[in-house]
Formats: sequence, structure tokens, C-alpha cells
Amino acid sequence: MTHTNHRQGTVESLQRDYVVFIYPARGINDQDAGPKVERFLQMAFEHGMINAGPARTGDRFLVDPERVVNRPRGSGSAYAVFNDKEKVTALVRDLVREDMGISIVVSGLFDEVDDVCERVGIRRHTAQCSLGISGQIDRLPPDAILDIATMCGHGMVSFNLVRRMAREVARGQTSLEEAGRILARPCSCGIFNPERARELLQHMLTEGIPQ
Amino acid sequence: MRIDQDRCTGCLECIDFCPMGAIRQSDTGGTAYVDQDACVECGVCLRVGCCQFDAIWQPELEWPRILRSQFSNPGVSHPSTAIYGRGTDETKTNDVTGRYPPGAIGIAAELGRPGVGTRLRDVETVARAILPLGVEFEKDNPTYFLFQDLEQVRMRPDVLDERVLSAILEFKTTLQKAPQVLKALHRVAAEIDAVMSVNIGSMIEPNGSLPAQKAAEQAGFHLRPNGKSNLGLGRPLVQGPTGGRE
Repeated sequence: MTHTNHRQGTVESLQRDYVVFIYPARGINDQDAGPKVERFLQMAFEHGMINAGPARTGDRFLVDPERVVNRPRGSGSAYAVFNDKEKVTALVRDLVREDMGISIVVSGLFDEVDDVCERVGIRRHTAQCSLGISGQIDRLPPDAILDIATMCGHGMVSFNLVRRMAREVARGQTSLEEAGRILARPCSCGIFNPERARELLQHMLTEGIPQ
Repeated sequence: MRIDQDRCTGCLECIDFCPMGAIRQSDTGGTAYVDQDACVECGVCLRVGCCQFDAIWQPELEWPRILRSQFSNPGVSHPSTAIYGRGTDETKTNDVTGRYPPGAIGIAAELGRPGVGTRLRDVETVARAILPLGVEFEKDNPTYFLFQDLEQVRMRPDVLDERVLSAILEFKTTLQKAPQVLKALHRVAAEIDAVMSVNIGSMIEPNGSLPAQKAAEQAGFHLRPNGKSNLGLGRPLVQGPTGGRE
């Protein structure tokens, strides 16, 4: 229920972070949905997605777009990550035009997603929002670490890996681009935004690497 | 997960990939090993290929330890629900399932997230605080199948000490009851040995308002500015207040 729902960060940073899903519903419209899911990924690729993937096989970082788009699949869900609202708008406009009949979900700032919908002539149906974190929050690292780690909804990106990448970039051992790729690797659903991770790491280098 | 001590060279490349900090360096040989109590069997260390010496391996898991894998590794499905991941389709397909119809509020309390992990015992503790308040527990969620007695809110005793990356209690309630449920979640959060990420959802009203937001604000919570929006493009469309083409 929460896959992309708890991505955290400033509004300014989240303005470059969107995940678009296609999600067949079991027993309702999942039969023969495979080609539609493939078509969704193809469209997302054409509109400039920066990461993508279905869950389950674990190798979803977009090093080779053809591999993601052309991989034989069943009728499961698929995800595409964008860092540009205009590209999301163009994709949603095409999805409305194609009328696949499969649920489409956009994760992102509600004001921005509302604007996308208004521009393409649709209205949102259902929304889900985070109320934040409670409990033993003293065990959590600073927000700068969480802003990156929470981009994997299943918690596969460890806090220590974020710290290590920040240190390696600061020492010149790893480039920002490579650090973004490494951080995206554990996220098997492909919903991690490596470009936003690079921006956040860059910011961390300016502000200081938190412990 | 295990690390073959004959293959491990002690490069320690794997340590930082573990979300639970369960991979440690041994005091004696300098090699890496997996703390079996801390490990949640999420499989990240194996999947990312961080060991060039193939020292990391996955032993066959038996009950109840196999629950760690089912709740923590998104590549492993739950036999109880045949769903990968930890929750249900909920909002993602609400335009065609009507799981949360008009007037209903969906709430999910995910224990252990982000990045801290939880014992299933704490899931029972939270369930005990909210189930008596008149919520409807989601039957397609894998935590549902761990309860042997829902009236007494008791889990199977053999699963209580299992540690997972996170587990979600997922339920729906009414707009009237939702603030009380959220306050109960806030209170019980202080009793658990974990963190808990909570979210709330509902269909959107014709005027663009979100009943879930109203419920949250009545309970004293502020919603984050981002989240999931179902665009209402699924078919056959469950007629809600809004959604899809204008």
C-alpha cells in the first residue's frame, strides 16, 4: 500500500520526482494486460523516463532501455520514473488517448499532479498521502540521508550505502553519476530516481555529510 | 543469508549494502559474516552482486524464518496472497476495485519503515490498539494470515520474534472513526520497538477535496505534499465522486 508513498524531501526537490505506474487489477482487467504494460513502458521510454521496471526479477536499473522495454513479461505492473513534469504531462496525455483501460497512478506532489490532470482534461479519482513517521524515530538518520533512501519503497537502499556514496564522491573516488547508479541498484522495482539522488548528494557535499 | 567463510576475503564491500546493518566483520579472521538475528533475508546483498568472490549465498529457509524473506524481499511472493511486496493494490487500482468506496478511509501503518525493521510482535501490538476501534482489516494483506485469533488480536506465537524489514497493517474505516484510529496509532507508536510510517487515502470529492485529509487534520496530523494519485483511467470504472475524463 505504500510503495512510493513515503518519498520525502523538500517541495523544491520533489518537483523533479515522479513515478508513473500502470497497474492491472487481479481478476478484473489483468487478463491479456501484458501487451498494454509493454506499450506503457515503450511510451514511457519515448517520453524520456530515467528509470523503469517491473518488480520481481531484481535487475531493473535502466542501464539498457531496450532490455527493460523488450523484456518478455506477464501481465503485472510496471513503473517509470521521471524528473520533468512536462514529460509526465505528455505521457499522461498519450495514455488518455490510448485508453488502455488499466489503472494509471502518478506519485508526486499533489499540486503538480493536479496540474498535469487539468492540462490533459482528466480528474484524479483516489489519492493516498503520508502522515510521516512515528515510533522510535531517534533511530533514523538525518533527513538528508532519508531523502535519498526513501526513494526505494521497499527499503532496499541502506542508510550506510548513502553515507558511503557521499564520502566517496567527496573524496573523488566515485563520480556523482556513478554514485546515483550504485544507489539505484538495490531498488529492484526500478522506482529509485538516480538523478534526484545525484542532486541530493551534491547538496550534501555543500552542506556536510550527515552521520 | 550466509557468507561462505572459505570464499570471503575480508574486502568488506558487502557491509554497506545491507539495509539492516546485519553484515559485520568478525573479530577473529577479519572476514564478513551475517548476524542471523539481525538479517531479515531481504536478499539485497546477493541481488546487487556486491561480492566478486561469490561468498554470499541464500540457504533454504524454513518456517517461520521464511516469513523474513516473504516480508522483506520484494522478489518473493507471499503464499497467502500471491502478491509480491508487503501490501495490496489498494489505491493503485481503486478506480476499478472500489476497495475504498465513497465514504471509506483507507489507512496503512507500515512498521519498520524506513530502514529500521520490526519484529512481528510489534505488528500484533499495533493491531491490538486499532482493531477494537471498528476498522475492517484488509484480508488480502499478508499480515492478516498471521493472526490466529482476530477477536483477541493474537498472532501465531511462533512468528512473533521474526524480524522483517517492514510489515503493513492495512485497513479501512469510516470518516467518522478515522481520527480516533489515527490518534490510537500515534499513541501505540510509543510502545513499539520500531518506527512506523502511516498513510491515509480515499476517493476524491467533486470539489477536489480529499476526505482522508479532513480525517487526518481532525486528528492533528499534517499531510505531506506528495503521494499517490489514481487518475481514474481503469475500466470498468467504479463510479466515485470524480475520476477519469471530464
